[in-house]
Amino acid sequence: MKRDGDAGALLHAHGLVRRFGSFCAVDGVTLHVAPGSIHAVIGPNGAGKTTLFRLLTGIIRPTAGRLMLAGEDITGKAPHVLARRGLAQSFQQTTIFPRLTALESVQAAIVARSRRAGDLASWFHRTVTAEARQVLDQVGLGRQADTRADRLSHGDQRALDVALALATRPRLLLLDEPTAGMSAAETGKTIRLIAGLVRSQGLTVLFSEHDMDVVFGISEHITVLHQGRVIAAGTAAQIRANDEVNAVYLGSDDA
Amino acid sequence: MTAVWRPAAGLAVLAAALAGLGFTLGASQLLTLNEAAGLALFAVATNLLVGYGGLVSFGQAVFYGIGAYSVALGWEHLHWSYWEGLAAAPLLGGAAALVVGLIALRARFLYFALLTLAFSQLAYEIAENQYHLTGGANGVFGAMLPVSLAQPRTGYFFVLAVTAGCLAIVWKVTASPFGLTLRSIRENRHRAEALGVNVFGHELIAFVVSGVFCSVAGALFVVYSQSAYPELLDWTQSGYAVFMAVIGGMFTFLGPALGALVYTLGQQYLVAHTTQWQLILGAALVLIALFRPDGLAGVSGLAARRLPRPRLARSTLAAGGEDGEPDGGPAKRPPGVAGEARR
Repeated sequence: MKRDGDAGALLHAHGLVRRFGSFCAVDGVTLHVAPGSIHAVIGPNGAGKTTLFRLLTGIIRPTAGRLMLAGEDITGKAPHVLARRGLAQSFQQTTIFPRLTALESVQAAIVARSRRAGDLASWFHRTVTAEARQVLDQVGLGRQADTRADRLSHGDQRALDVALALATRPRLLLLDEPTAGMSAAETGKTIRLIAGLVRSQGLTVLFSEHDMDVVFGISEHITVLHQGRVIAAGTAAQIRANDEVNAVYLGSDDA
Repeated sequence: MTAVWRPAAGLAVLAAALAGLGFTLGASQLLTLNEAAGLALFAVATNLLVGYGGLVSFGQAVFYGIGAYSVALGWEHLHWSYWEGLAAAPLLGGAAALVVGLIALRARFLYFALLTLAFSQLAYEIAENQYHLTGGANGVFGAMLPVSLAQPRTGYFFVLAVTAGCLAIVWKVTASPFGLTLRSIRENRHRAEALGVNVFGHELIAFVVSGVFCSVAGALFVVYSQSAYPELLDWTQSGYAVFMAVIGGMFTFLGPALGALVYTLGQQYLVAHTTQWQLILGAALVLIALFRPDGLAGVSGLAARRLPRPRLARSTLAAGGEDGEPDGGPAKRPPGVAGEARR
């Protein structure tokens, strides 16, 4: 297995294991995400992608293995602690605050980031509102600031989901199937958004994806999962040329 | 942000009108309004959990009762003045809320509701059984008020002033960064957690703040009843606060206060015409839950009509499944005070 430089890795998962009863959903996954890169995790259905993301974001705890963020051990830390360390996520199913407006949603994210969520006594500072509007502009929702989140279109809800993650000013953005259920046009828009953010903000993005065009279109590094294990890791070109990967995606087991 | 001040101005006008009534109404009507004002604080404080936090608690009577008993037992056993009891009430209520919250908030949804209900029942049993301390089922009665508060008119002005002051503080809390965070937790706790919010910690803060103001409401109860008895701690008493919030409108700040007024007037005047007034209350609740989940405040909220109702509203409601949806407030409404701008 190829290692892409673990010394400078922003996120380093080492031998992650997660069992559900006797079923091993993630079976010894080691992963290095280089800072400033776009890194994709691919694999057929049931390969363990979503479980891996849930492990990386602290929603579930690993049965074994270690997780390091910028050299700090974050194994078993709660999601809100990871968020404060600079790890933001967007979910496979869009998760937003249905009855808050787009602006309020992003304000809530900024308040959470600046550790003022427990502030009962003060007013909203103008800067929170200004920053929230700026983030909405970045994801192309500037005009829908006062629209309730549940009344946005599906694509706009995904964009709001990403805006919430961005508002926490993350070092690492984890996106679990960011284009799931999107039309081709919406997919293109989302991908341009992600690539643009990586360039303009120096973000690091780790995402899982079904759509191979999307994956090879923007990722620098790709890790391939199959039955809970990493079967290949490398650059887009290396993965494209990998026989085992092709075999898995063609659905045969004789690789 | 002038929009923020509009509800505050509305509140001031309302308080002035209610103060004016203090000079014109007779003693018995004043007692009714007195009760409505105290219950309004109880209902709004409860709604901080139910409406803003999405935490349906059937245990807020624990803190309401503690407020009343702080005054009554302090007077009986420690020879406290009413003022000492009133000062102790929020401290004792807040401390009790911290303990109850630490336990009950470990559970979610139905189990949270049942746990809080169990605490209410527990508090009721304790008050009823500790005869030597609480007077058991008889409760504590007596002249525990200073002369200055014992008059219906002065009592009314006092309750009104304390209620208005407390409502202003609670409203401020709902408009703070904390208030928005609380609503975001209500909408999607996992997402809030992913943004870095300690969900349990914030729900606990909300629980304690609610407990503090429920206790103050309980201490106000003594002003117009001069008594404290176990039923104040009972879960049915908690249920009344939830009823008031739902009837009045749990997605508006003052909706529950409106609910308290309707409830009190209903109790006072319907009871003269029919023994079945609780049946009418129940029917009203069913109708509101089915057809206007945003309550009476939503029915009267004409401002909401100016926004077109989106076609998707019905399906969102069906998909969300947890509760009805209020009409979208005016575009620039401040966080946490939906509907207030309508006043």
